[in-house]
Amino acid sequence: MSKGIVLDPTSSFSHDIASSGPDVGDLAGRKIGFRVDMLWRSWDWVSEIWAEMLRADGAEVSFWRSMGRTAEEGVRMNAEMNAFFDGVDTAIVGLANCGSCTSWTIHDALAAAGRDIPTVAIATAHFEDLAHALAKRGGRSGLRLQVLPYPLDTLQKEQVHAIAREQYRSLLRTLGVRDRLAQQSAA
Amino acid sequence: MGWGDGLPLIPPTEERVQQYIVAGQRYPDETIAVLPPLRSEATAEKIAINAVMAGAPAAAMPLIYAAIEAMADPNFDLAGLNATTGSVVPAVIVNGPIRHRLGIPYGAGLFGGVEGAAPGIGRAIRLAMRNIAGQHVGTTSKSVYGNPGRVAGIVIGEWEERSPWAPLAARRGVPGDAVTIYGAMGTANICDVVADSGIGLLEMIGKSLAYPGANGFLPSTAYSETLIVINPVWAELIAREYPAIESVQEILWDKAALPIDWFRPEYLKPIEALGRVRADGRVHLVPEPKDVLVMVAGGEGGLHAHMVHSWGACLTVTRPIAA
Repeated sequence: MSKGIVLDPTSSFSHDIASSGPDVGDLAGRKIGFRVDMLWRSWDWVSEIWAEMLRADGAEVSFWRSMGRTAEEGVRMNAEMNAFFDGVDTAIVGLANCGSCTSWTIHDALAAAGRDIPTVAIATAHFEDLAHALAKRGGRSGLRLQVLPYPLDTLQKEQVHAIAREQYRSLLRTLGVRDRLAQQSAA
Repeated sequence: MGWGDGLPLIPPTEERVQQYIVAGQRYPDETIAVLPPLRSEATAEKIAINAVMAGAPAAAMPLIYAAIEAMADPNFDLAGLNATTGSVVPAVIVNGPIRHRLGIPYGAGLFGGVEGAAPGIGRAIRLAMRNIAGQHVGTTSKSVYGNPGRVAGIVIGEWEERSPWAPLAARRGVPGDAVTIYGAMGTANICDVVADSGIGLLEMIGKSLAYPGANGFLPSTAYSETLIVINPVWAELIAREYPAIESVQEILWDKAALPIDWFRPEYLKPIEALGRVRADGRVHLVPEPKDVLVMVAGGEGGLHAHMVHSWGACLTVTRPIAA
C-alpha cells in the first residue's frame, strides 16, 4: 500500500476569552436589561417573573425585543440592540430554544459581554451544547449560561412562572450576585 | 477524522488542490467568507480542498466561491440557517452561459437524478459547511429532520432559453453568469392535469403554496420569500396571458393567502401584532408580490410545478460569477 499526504479541509480557531466576565455584586441600583424575542412566549413569562423579583431586590429593569435580523430591519435591530446594551450595566439575553434563536441569542450575548458588563445567556437544556459551542467559537467560552428545562414552550403560564421562581436564586448565582444569606451568616 | 459525509472521498493531495486553486483564480490564503456556526474563515484553499474531496469539477471553482460568498451575506442569515431546527439547505440557482459550460441541469430531473456535475458541486459546498463552517447534526445543527439536499446540495439552472421572461438573476440585477442562493425548506410538487389557461395554472400554484404550516405563515415571520419553479410548457401558456413577470407574481401572491379565521385563536395575536392581516381578513404567505420568486425549469412533460418554501427571514442573495 502506498502512502501520501492529504491537506486538512477543516478550519481552526484559536482566539478565546475563558473568563466569565465581571460579577454583578450588589443588585441595588443595577440597570438590568432583558433581551427578549418574537418567538417564545415562555421566555416572556420567565423574564416578567425575574424582572419582578429583580425589582424587588432593588434593580432597575428594562426590555428590548429582537425582531427580524435581515435586510433593513436587521440593520435597525443591530442599532437598537447596541443602544440598549449601552444603556444597561447587566444583560440577560434569551432565549436559546431553537437552532437559529440560539445562534442569535449567543450573538447578542457576545455583543453585551464585549462591553465588559455582566452577561448571561439563557438556554433551554436541549440547546445548551450548541450555546456553549457558539460562545466558544465566538471567542468567549466563559460566557455565562443559565439553563432552563426543555421543553418549556409547551407548558402553561403558571408552570413556567413556577420554574422562573424556582430558578431565580440560581440565576443570581450565575450572574455573580453577592448572596445576602451567605453574607449574613459570615457576619 | 470526521471529514466526510459517509460517501467515498477523493484524497485532497497538494497537487490536486493546487489545480483547483488555479482554476478558481483566487489566492489560496484569500478569505472568501467567514462561515457560521463556528465563524470559521473559509479561505480559497480550504474550499478547494473540500471541492476536491467532493468530486466537483475544477472548472466549477468560480461558481463555488461565488455561492459561498453569497451565502455569507448577512441578509441570508447563514448563522441562523446552519444552526436551525428547520430542514433548510441553501439552494444554488445558476444563470448565464456557465450553465452550459458546467452542465448545470435545467431540464428534466434537475432537482435530482439527472447525471452531471451538479451533485459534485453541491457536495463541495456541503462539505465546506461541514468541515469549515462546522455544521454537524446534533451539536451545531439542530435540524430535526435534515434535508436530502444536505448531502449533495441543490444545484439547478434556469432554462433561460425556454423562459418567456428575463432570467431570474437578471431580474435581480445581475445579468450573465450569476448564482442565486435561496434558503430551501425542501421541495414539493404541484400537479395539474385539468387547467387549460394561464390563470388556471396560476390559481392552482398560488393556492397550493398556502398551507398553514408554511414558513411564511409562522407567527414569528414578519417577512419571507417563496420560490416557484414553472416548467417551460406551462410558462409558455401563462406568458400568453401574462407577458409581464410582475403580473405572474401578483397573481401568485394574491392566491397564496389564507383567511385569518383558519388559524386557531392562539395564533391570532402574534400574527396581528406583525400587521399581517389585510383589510379583507386574509393573511398572505409573503408580504408583497415581489417576494414570490419565479423561475422556469423542468422537463417538457409539463403537468408539474415545484414549490420551494423558504426558511425564516432568510433573504435570497444573487452574485455574479467571476469569468
